Amino acid sequence: MLEINNLVKYRGTQEILSGISFKARPGRVTGFLGPNGAGKSSTLRILLGLDRATSGSALVNGMPFAELHNPLVTIGAALDGSGAHRRRTGRAHLRWMARAAGLSSSRVEEVLEIVGLTKAADKRVGNYSLGMGKRLGMAAALLGDPQILVLDEPVNGLDPEGIRFIRTFLRERAESGNTVLLSSHLIGELAETVDDVVIIKHGKIVADGTLEEVIGNHSNLEEAFFARTSAHAGDAV
Amino acid sequence: MSVPSSKKITLILGAELDKLVTLPWTWLTLIGTFIINLLLAAAFTSVGLQGAAGTQSILNIGLASMGYLQAGFLILGILAACSEYTGGQIRTTLTTIPWRGFQLSMKLLALAVITIPAAFIIAASGVLYTFIRMRDTAVGFEINTMIEALAGATGYLTLTALLSAAMGALLRRTTPALVILLGYYFVVSPLTKDFLPGLKKYFPDTVGNYMYMPPSPDEINVLTPLQGTGILMLWTLIFIIVAIVFYRRRDA
Amino acid sequence: MRAFNAELSKLFSLPGIWLAFFIGAIAPAVIAALDSMAQKEEIIAGVSTRLSEVGYIGLALGVQGVIILGVLAVSSEYLTESSESGGGQQITTSLTVVSSRLHLLLAKAGAVTVISILLCIVAIMTTVSATHLVLGEYTPAFEGSKLLGAVWYWTFTALLAFGITVLTKNGIIPLAVLIINTSVVSFSFLLSKVTKLALYLPDRAGTEMFMFTSDRFLSPFTGGLVMFAWVVVLFIAAAIVFHRRDVAS
Repeated sequence: MLEINNLVKYRGTQEILSGISFKARPGRVTGFLGPNGAGKSSTLRILLGLDRATSGSALVNGMPFAELHNPLVTIGAALDGSGAHRRRTGRAHLRWMARAAGLSSSRVEEVLEIVGLTKAADKRVGNYSLGMGKRLGMAAALLGDPQILVLDEPVNGLDPEGIRFIRTFLRERAESGNTVLLSSHLIGELAETVDDVVIIKHGKIVADGTLEEVIGNHSNLEEAFFARTSAHAGDAV
Repeated sequence: MSVPSSKKITLILGAELDKLVTLPWTWLTLIGTFIINLLLAAAFTSVGLQGAAGTQSILNIGLASMGYLQAGFLILGILAACSEYTGGQIRTTLTTIPWRGFQLSMKLLALAVITIPAAFIIAASGVLYTFIRMRDTAVGFEINTMIEALAGATGYLTLTALLSAAMGALLRRTTPALVILLGYYFVVSPLTKDFLPGLKKYFPDTVGNYMYMPPSPDEINVLTPLQGTGILMLWTLIFIIVAIVFYRRRDA
Repeated sequence: MRAFNAELSKLFSLPGIWLAFFIGAIAPAVIAALDSMAQKEEIIAGVSTRLSEVGYIGLALGVQGVIILGVLAVSSEYLTESSESGGGQQITTSLTVVSSRLHLLLAKAGAVTVISILLCIVAIMTTVSATHLVLGEYTPAFEGSKLLGAVWYWTFTALLAFGITVLTKNGIIPLAVLIINTSVVSFSFLLSKVTKLALYLPDRAGTEMFMFTSDRFLSPFTGGLVMFAWVVVLFIAAAIVFHRRDVAS
């Protein structure tokens, strides 16, 4: 369960987030949609304790991220890029993470297998392609087999096979009772994966509900998205 | 944040050690420092051999390269801290270990675990080389003096590495950290020696010199090795605390 | 010419470059002022042995600014120190914009040269003013030829930093080696006690252009020539390596 309550974030004098609230529930895939620069990444960074909120709170199972006892087994996160040092090998990157969370190194081999990086595990991360870096990020998120997954643009840079894998994988995770929150600007892709949709624009939530509710009487999610985010959109929410 | 359990300390320290030893730069820096130190020891020894026989101190000559040697440990400290900011690794670090003050402390502890043996081996190798080359011409020395000097040198290099890691964590970028620290240790500090004689001896590099240099009779008001160690520890601690305060407060 | 302009604007948009400018413009003046203060009494009494080095010592020790400039010009192309980037290196973009590697290298070196010359002129102005401020009427005259030597020394040092960084692709080694070597405890100074050959090392030979009137080894002109030869050799090596290397590696 992820809860965002009235989150406000200023960067300098600029207001990045102006009081947003939403929930991501267990057993469901929640899609977090918005144009570039709408505040998606800022929200996720605050949720993960990387950035500090000016006011409001972001809670993981009712607790701020930093108070989790063992974050890696509670919540797995994959943000933009691999999140690994370029000179380290993929395996070494996952190994130190496993060490920090008290996980066995056989778990590292398991997640490498899941994301299909076993063969490239001893290559330096700097030599990875965009898609391989993304897979490494996914492997890191899955390392602790967490009940909650937070993924920023998970399909960006993946090949068709990778995209299909992510889609079925996330559905399986949600169906077995886990919470999945993923941000994206690829709306068509998202429509096939998510149960709930949250749309953010200029730091404000403009739509929040199940996929059917958000689509409403628009023909599809894409139409609904543009109706809510384009400059001349009516006050349809 | 509650007090971390001893199990957690072991785990996080292990993870930070893993990070350091799987970084090729760590080894390149240490091996490079070792080789360059031997070359410098060779240079100082051959300069020493030109001097009058029986007047040279093996320890003085063997540790003469310390001035250069510290550069390797400055670099090591900066790399340890700034490598977090390559490829967005800091995000992974903080989502895995969100207790920031604790995480940075463990990183510094891991750095010390690597630096202490490395500094000792490197400093001792220089002295050993000098001893082999000069044992016939130089004045003898007591084994106790040598152990004290080597321990002091190890401590000095370790504290210097920790101080520069704190500086690196504060600045987050390798180049400015390197410019500021090298500029201070190699350009500013030697120049200010003549201008601030009273205060100068309390600066982190000068004060550290008293940790390993045998006291020379022509200097007045010198500090004992213990005083030197204490004051340098204080400096390092101040830098670490400032780094942790900033690290905890800012957006990653 | 367009590539050259592009390199200039790339350099000016680097945050680290302001550190280089600041150090380059201020450090020599501060060092010269401190040194003049320390020697003031001896100079007034007319017994100073280092009269000819007054002021120039600032220019000799204050080259860090252009070292940073030369290193940053190259290392910024390879740097990926950002919390967001997934590993984008600017060099890939640079090489698709200017496809000839030699042109890119020459344009970059040209930009570094021009900025170094300008920075040194600024440094000379601040240094001369600082020396005058401290010593007043006792300030020795600054000769044009020696100041020109200082400009060459700075430019060549910047190009050496540039060349070494092309070879290492990483700013740490050149910064460490060159900053230590411009200090009063330089490697060259130590080596010169072991072998006379060390006097031909670039920094030592280069400073002959405007320092060391007392224990001169090379004439100012030869010194400049020796340093120039180092720059040329290094630049050729850098060009060959840069030309043959895969960008990604």
